[in-house]
Amino acid sequence: MQVRISEQLSLMEKLNILSDAAKYDVACTSSGINRGNTGKGVGNCVEAGICHSFSADGRCISLLKILLTNECIYNCRYCLNRSSNDVPRAAFTPQEICDLVMGFYRRNYIEGLFLSSGIVKSPSYTMELLYATLFKLRHECGFGGYIHVKAIPGADPRLIERTGYLADRMSVNLELPTAEGLRRLAPNKSRTRILTPMRQVQNRMQENQNEVALYRNAPRFVPAGQSTQMIIGATPENDFQIVSVAESLYQRFALKRVFYSAFVRVNEDSLLPALPGGPPLLREHRLYQADWLLRYYGFQASELLSEERPNFNVLLDPKCDWALRHLENFPVEINRADYGTLLRVPGIGVRSAQRIVKARRLGNLDFPDLKRMGVVLKRALYFITCRGRTMYPIRIEEDYITRNLLSVKERLPLGLDGQVTYRQLSLFDDMNVSLPPGA
Amino acid sequence: MTIFWCEDSLDGILTGIYDAWDSRLGHSNVRLKTDAQDTLELFCENRQVETDMGKAEKVLRTIRERLGEEAFEAVCYAAACTDSGRADAIYRMVVLGLHMKDGRQVVNCLQNPDVSLVMRLRIKAWHEAHRFLGFVRFEELENGVLYSAIEPAYAVLPLMAPHFADRFRQENWVIHDKRRGLLAVHPKGSCWVLADAGELHLSSLTRRSPREEEFKELWKSFCKSIAIGERTNPRCQQGLLPLRFRGCMTEFQEI
Repeated sequence: MQVRISEQLSLMEKLNILSDAAKYDVACTSSGINRGNTGKGVGNCVEAGICHSFSADGRCISLLKILLTNECIYNCRYCLNRSSNDVPRAAFTPQEICDLVMGFYRRNYIEGLFLSSGIVKSPSYTMELLYATLFKLRHECGFGGYIHVKAIPGADPRLIERTGYLADRMSVNLELPTAEGLRRLAPNKSRTRILTPMRQVQNRMQENQNEVALYRNAPRFVPAGQSTQMIIGATPENDFQIVSVAESLYQRFALKRVFYSAFVRVNEDSLLPALPGGPPLLREHRLYQADWLLRYYGFQASELLSEERPNFNVLLDPKCDWALRHLENFPVEINRADYGTLLRVPGIGVRSAQRIVKARRLGNLDFPDLKRMGVVLKRALYFITCRGRTMYPIRIEEDYITRNLLSVKERLPLGLDGQVTYRQLSLFDDMNVSLPPGA
Repeated sequence: MTIFWCEDSLDGILTGIYDAWDSRLGHSNVRLKTDAQDTLELFCENRQVETDMGKAEKVLRTIRERLGEEAFEAVCYAAACTDSGRADAIYRMVVLGLHMKDGRQVVNCLQNPDVSLVMRLRIKAWHEAHRFLGFVRFEELENGVLYSAIEPAYAVLPLMAPHFADRFRQENWVIHDKRRGLLAVHPKGSCWVLADAGELHLSSLTRRSPREEEFKELWKSFCKSIAIGERTNPRCQQGLLPLRFRGCMTEFQEI
C-alpha cells in the first residue's frame, strides 16, 4: 500500500489533523478507577473523573483525544478518514505522543490520553503501534494518568491482552446498532469481528478480578472497564432496537458505558441519509436519558419502548413518559415506598431517593423537606404524596398531568414547545391552505 | 440573645462553637455569626471570638469521633463557603448530633433546616473544588516550578491541594488563590503547605520556561479542533463552564 503521509508536518499541524479526525469519537470520560501516585512517576486517577475544559459544542474535554494516524485501509462510508477521501493524512510517532501527553498533563490541561487509530497496513500492525505507544508512555515516561485505548477488531488477541494491562479503559466501537447497517455502511467490518475482542476483554477482566482478589499486587487488566459507541441516525433503526442492543451489551458483555453519537454527515454518499435539520441531537439526548434509566434506575428496555411504540416521545423524557403510561402505580407515599419505587418517580433521582430513604428513618418528610433535598417538585408533585396528601389538589389523569408537565418549559426545538409556530405569509408560496367551500 | 462573632474561617467557626457551648448560656440563647459586615442587632450582647487553634482542634476531634467521618467532611467543606448562616448552622448541627443516640445519623437528618443547609453547602463547596481540580492551569516557570493562579468563589484551596500533592508528587508546584492571597506550596517529594502570598516575592513568577508558549499554542489549537462544528452549543458550554472560571484558563486567553 502506498503511504500518503507527508513527513514534513509540524507537531502543531499533526495535532490539528489528528484531533480533528478523532473528534467524532464520543467517549471522553476519565472515570471508573481510583489510583494513587506510585511515588515514581507523575499522575493518578480519580474515580469520579475530572473534566478539564468544555469545547464550543458543550462536550467535556477530559482526555487528549487523538488518533495515532488517520491513514486507513478501510472505506466506511460515514467516516471522514475513509480510504477514498482526499484528506490530509498524518501520523504521530510514539515519542511525539509521549511529549504531548506529558507536557499537557503537567500543566493540568488533561486527565489522560484517549488513543485511537485508523487502520494502517493491518489491524495487528496498528494494534502493535498502539501498544508500543502505551508502553513507552507508561514505562519510559512514568505516566500514571488515565489511558483510554481502542481495541482494533481483527488484531491479534495477544496484542489486545498486552495493551489491556497498560490501559485503564478499552473500547471497541460497535459503530452501527445492527449487523445489517454495518454491512451497508462499513463493508470491511463485521459484527462478529467487533464482538470478538469485546468478549475477550470481558473474559480477561473477570479472570483478572479473581487474580487481584488473590494477589493484591497482580497487574490490573482494563480496571475502568470497557465501553462502546453507536452512531445514531445513519441507518433506519428505531429507538427500541437501539435501546435493546444497549441493554444486551450491558447484560451480556458487562460494559461500563454505551455511548450514542448523533450522526454528522461528513461525507457525500448516496447511502447516507440527508439531515437537513442537523444531527439528531434530541434523539441522542433521549437515548442517553434511557441509558441512565437502564443502568441506575432498574428499568428494562421493554418497559420504556415496545414494537408498537418504537420511538421515544419527543416532548417528554422517557421516565415521565413511562410514568404517564403507568398511572396505576401512582401516587407513591414518600414516607413508606421502597427505594426501587421511589427511583421510578419522575423528578426523583438516585441521590434524592437515597437521601429520602435515609432521612425518613429519623422523622416524617414533607414537601418543603423534599425540595431542600433536591427533588424536582414541578415534575414529582403529580406522582407523590407526603403523609397521605398531595401537594396541591390534583387529578391523577394522563391528559391533565401531561398538559401540566408540558407547561413547565423544557427547552425543545422550535415548534415543539407549544410556542408560536405561524410564519409570514408569502404571495407566491403554496401554504397548503384550502379555501372553505362556497368562498 | 448573645451573638458570637467569629473569624471567617474553619478555625474561627470551630472556636466560636467551643466558646458558645462553653458560655453555658443555653443553646437557644446564643448565635454564631461570621460576617463582620452584618448589621448589629438591638437587645443583643455581642462577643468577639478570638481564634484559638487548640479549641478548634478539640471541636474538630469531637465532631470526627462522635458525629463520624461524613459530618467531619461536611463541616470542613461547608465552612469553606461564603453563606452568612453557615456558622450558626454548623453549631446547630453539632448540638443536634451530640444529643442524638447515634451521632453519626445527624448527616441524614435532612428534615432539620440547619443540617440540610450544611449538607447543601458541602455539596456546593465540593463542586467548586472539584471543578477547580480540572480548571487549574499550571505554567512552567524558568526553574521548572509549576505555577497556577486561580480565583475561586469559595476557600477551596486547602480542599484541592491534596489532590495535586498526590498527582504531582515529584514536582515543585504552587497554586495561588488570588482572591484570598493564599498559596499552596508543594516542594518536590514532600508535604504541601499553606502560605500567605504577601510574604513571597512574586516577581520571580513571571519568567516562563521557553517551551511554555509552544504548549499553550498546542493546547489552544487542540481545544478548537476538538469541537464539532455541526453541534456548536455555546449555552451548553457556558452552563458547564461559567465565564467566571475562564479568566485563569489558558484556552480562553487571547494573545
